[in-house]
Amino acid sequence: MSAETAIHQQIDQLVKSNDVIVFMKGTRRFPQCGFSATVVQILDELVDDYETINVLADADMRSGIKSYSDWPTIPQVYIRGEFIGGSDIVRSLFASGELHQKLGVKLEAVAAPTLHVTEAAAAILRDAAANERHKSLRLQVSASFQYGLSFGPEQPGDLVIEVAGLTFLVDRGTAKRTDGMTLDYDEAKNGFHIDNPNEPPTVKQITVHELKAAMDADPNIRLIDTRESDERARGIIPGSVQATSALVEELMALPKDTPLYFTCRSGARSNRMGEDFIAAGFTKVFNVQGGILAWGREYDPSLEPY
Amino acid sequence: MGFATFDDAVTGGMQVAISEAIPGAEVEVTHGSGGHYAVRVVSASFAGKSLVEKQRMVYRAIAPFMEGPDAPVHAIDRLETVIA
Repeated sequence: MSAETAIHQQIDQLVKSNDVIVFMKGTRRFPQCGFSATVVQILDELVDDYETINVLADADMRSGIKSYSDWPTIPQVYIRGEFIGGSDIVRSLFASGELHQKLGVKLEAVAAPTLHVTEAAAAILRDAAANERHKSLRLQVSASFQYGLSFGPEQPGDLVIEVAGLTFLVDRGTAKRTDGMTLDYDEAKNGFHIDNPNEPPTVKQITVHELKAAMDADPNIRLIDTRESDERARGIIPGSVQATSALVEELMALPKDTPLYFTCRSGARSNRMGEDFIAAGFTKVFNVQGGILAWGREYDPSLEPY
Repeated sequence: MGFATFDDAVTGGMQVAISEAIPGAEVEVTHGSGGHYAVRVVSASFAGKSLVEKQRMVYRAIAPFMEGPDAPVHAIDRLETVIA
């Protein structure tokens, strides 16, 4: 049996034993080329589980899949034994809804989302559009909430949003993740700024000034100090309580929208505990950047750095 | 007067290869950056074929340009197959 026959048999086995399989560069979690990333992003949208084969890890597989499929490029997608194609075919089948059909996923009607664009952002974009051949803006919001904005032509399946004298184009996946989003522009804050209510909650980083303001507004806020007892003996932020296991248990039982503030020496340990609360479903979790060191610098010179 | 560059040679080579594989087709190959190219082919022979079949007709013709570690063509950024 020739080496090529052997690899073809191996591929045949893979294609037949997996409902959905992608031969790609890199892995599902770390695609190593833009075309492979596009395919992964679209499939992630539609199915929970599928197989991926990293052709970069196996030179025989890399050449074998090309001759097996009679297709010279990577990635390649197979669904239930049927060769589907590469990234642009997958993208166009996704836009038209045919990919949903092939995967047995119900195609839900998606309405054009509501997008807010502040006048500051709109003015910049209208100016930029004046020099572009395609005047419409493609907005992309990936499943992991990475954002992309570029001028480009309309594609099949696009939803069109007209706002502030601008035309935005979004694909189906982006549409779901865009509804209610605000696009702002502020030179002082590094340019474009996005506020998207669809983003999963994360630990919000705040300064000691923001913490102070929150404490002044509500003296009863829950400020949790994740440091050890000997560290707390050196000094604390007034009103903070130590994160004993009993306290953590008590906090976990609170309503998930209870605001929780975490602090430690410099902000690393407290951030980790904040992540635990996010994972547990809490939605208003704050981490004090710089911890007690920053607090000492700004509000309590008697605290000695350690 | 211009002179032929490596990219011109690759572009022209692909153009000829596709024209030979799909007689009568209108073929347009444009060079992007690096080894990236865009291809547009208009042909009556695409009628009744699926997207995969249409693209495969073009890919088969240019596969030699994409083979091996030193292939001059790394990726086709856009492959348009239009029914004449």
